[in-house]
Amino acid sequence: MILRRAALTGAALASLVRPALAGDLPVAPVSVAAQLPSQGLAYQPQDKVERGIWMQMDEAERKFRTSSFVIRDKALNDYVRGVFCRTVGDANCAGVRIYIVRTAAFNASMAPNGMMLVWSGLFLRVRDEAQFAAVLGHEYTHYANKHSLQLFREVEDRSAGMAFFGAFGLFGLPFMLGELGSAFAFSRDMEREADAGSVTLLAKAGYDPMAASKIWEQLRAEQDATAVARNVASRKDKNGGMFATHPPTAERMATLKDLASKQAVVGTPVTNRAAYMAALAPFWAGFVDDQIKLNDFGGTDFLLTSLGTEGWTPQLYYARGELLRSRGRPEDLKAAIDAYRSAATGVGAVPEAWRGLGLALLRNGQTVEGQDALRKYMAARPDAADKPMMTMLAGG
Amino acid sequence: MRYVMFACSAVAVLSAMPATAAYHLMTSGTPEYVAKSGLSVTPSQDWNRLGSRPGRNAESWTLDGLALNDMTFYGGIGNDETLFRDAQKKDMPLPHFSSTMLAPDVAQLFEGSYRVANNTTLMSVDSIEPAQVGDQKGFRFTYSFTKQDEEVKRKGEALGAIVGGKLYLLTFEAPAIFYFDRDIASARALMTSAKIGPAPKSN
Repeated sequence: MILRRAALTGAALASLVRPALAGDLPVAPVSVAAQLPSQGLAYQPQDKVERGIWMQMDEAERKFRTSSFVIRDKALNDYVRGVFCRTVGDANCAGVRIYIVRTAAFNASMAPNGMMLVWSGLFLRVRDEAQFAAVLGHEYTHYANKHSLQLFREVEDRSAGMAFFGAFGLFGLPFMLGELGSAFAFSRDMEREADAGSVTLLAKAGYDPMAASKIWEQLRAEQDATAVARNVASRKDKNGGMFATHPPTAERMATLKDLASKQAVVGTPVTNRAAYMAALAPFWAGFVDDQIKLNDFGGTDFLLTSLGTEGWTPQLYYARGELLRSRGRPEDLKAAIDAYRSAATGVGAVPEAWRGLGLALLRNGQTVEGQDALRKYMAARPDAADKPMMTMLAGG
Repeated sequence: MRYVMFACSAVAVLSAMPATAAYHLMTSGTPEYVAKSGLSVTPSQDWNRLGSRPGRNAESWTLDGLALNDMTFYGGIGNDETLFRDAQKKDMPLPHFSSTMLAPDVAQLFEGSYRVANNTTLMSVDSIEPAQVGDQKGFRFTYSFTKQDEEVKRKGEALGAIVGGKLYLLTFEAPAIFYFDRDIASARALMTSAKIGPAPKSN
């Protein structure tokens, strides 16, 4: 097999950036409103540096346009665009292209040329439309205030910087400028701007502005859960992780909540959870499957348990069974059997739960019950691609 | 802000295979022990063995280069071991084999290992059925995947068995366009010739 690994090397990054000098001034916060007109449909890059970045991002976008990783389902794309346009306003969303990329991690970015990337892992980690809008609004503020361009202007050797672009690969490229930010202290100010911008946009759009602070609380807890299960230190405060450029969490949460409490929302603030869940429903099982197969037991267990606080559905029980069976310790198999049993019956029962139940029972030494469950799976899914194997395991 | 988890923001893309990897000719008709184990195969045409291994108990053969046709042997993966090198153990650990696994669990282990190592969500096991590896009862499964940054759709076929609590697995994969169909017969001939016995003393 061919293995290609990606790794972030701090040394490579550091070699490209100019060390901060005592006389360097922090970037002055620029209001969202003041910057918005500069990024309309007709906007063109203004100088050599900006044109260079646009060229790179246009090339990346050309590849995304035909990538098999991009989800092209019309309903989901329409929904995402609808939320984005409501959040930033029709005039500002008109020129933006959104690509939903099937990658099981929490990520979203907006490139200087107006290409927005939303990774599928984001959908499992935001609970409602308002939280989703908060992330899109945050990214839009970075874009509107040209944060990545400001970062790139700080790169000392731009020709090396361009070569550096290449090392990221297509999927890393749009996030490269963000990674660059971790080398500059002033990127923290950009985060504060983006946070403030997202809260303002949420309120203007009629969403609950508290949504922004909730996401970060959830994610911080997930990082802790991953670390505990892997017996490593949590990466939540490490450079290079998704929290690298964020101010200390306590301060950030407090600031976000404070900003939100001061916002005057138009009408009654909404979260639109039902609409969000309906849009996500056709994709939920696939996205959860991607998450389970990341081999991140702690993070996934935390995620499923969090989702379960709003009610354990057969789908959620099935996902839990799959997660436990994939780790496969004796105690996991016992717990998986319980989870599968809850998933296999009742309203919204998942037929594949019989398969998982059968396999878990067989591994647990309960042959007769296991074979019976596998027969029920085959009865429910007579055309299953794994039928020859299941027939054998079920005793012929 | 960057929302980057699991080191998905690729910076330096490292290949597991050094550029100077040496190749050794595996001559048609000559039985060979593979993957430092008692797994042996007899090629029906000449193959090339790569000098560097994907893991301690694994080795790869190719006809035209791994990107075009990749035959990999996993010889006796023990309980709690990974299929191949766990290069990013801390942030993206690979799943571990368990001696109690059933055939569908092995296919799932293989899928999970590929998803993590290749950083992809486009990987699936497409079918699975009982099969023989030499005189041992085993399983055969087919799979397909696409790696990020590459977009080449690949198809694969695997033959495996768990013997004495250890996993023996032979996999062949190639681009779905042209190469898989051209070379699958040669790969199946290798799989058909496979025997699992005691490891030779020189290994």
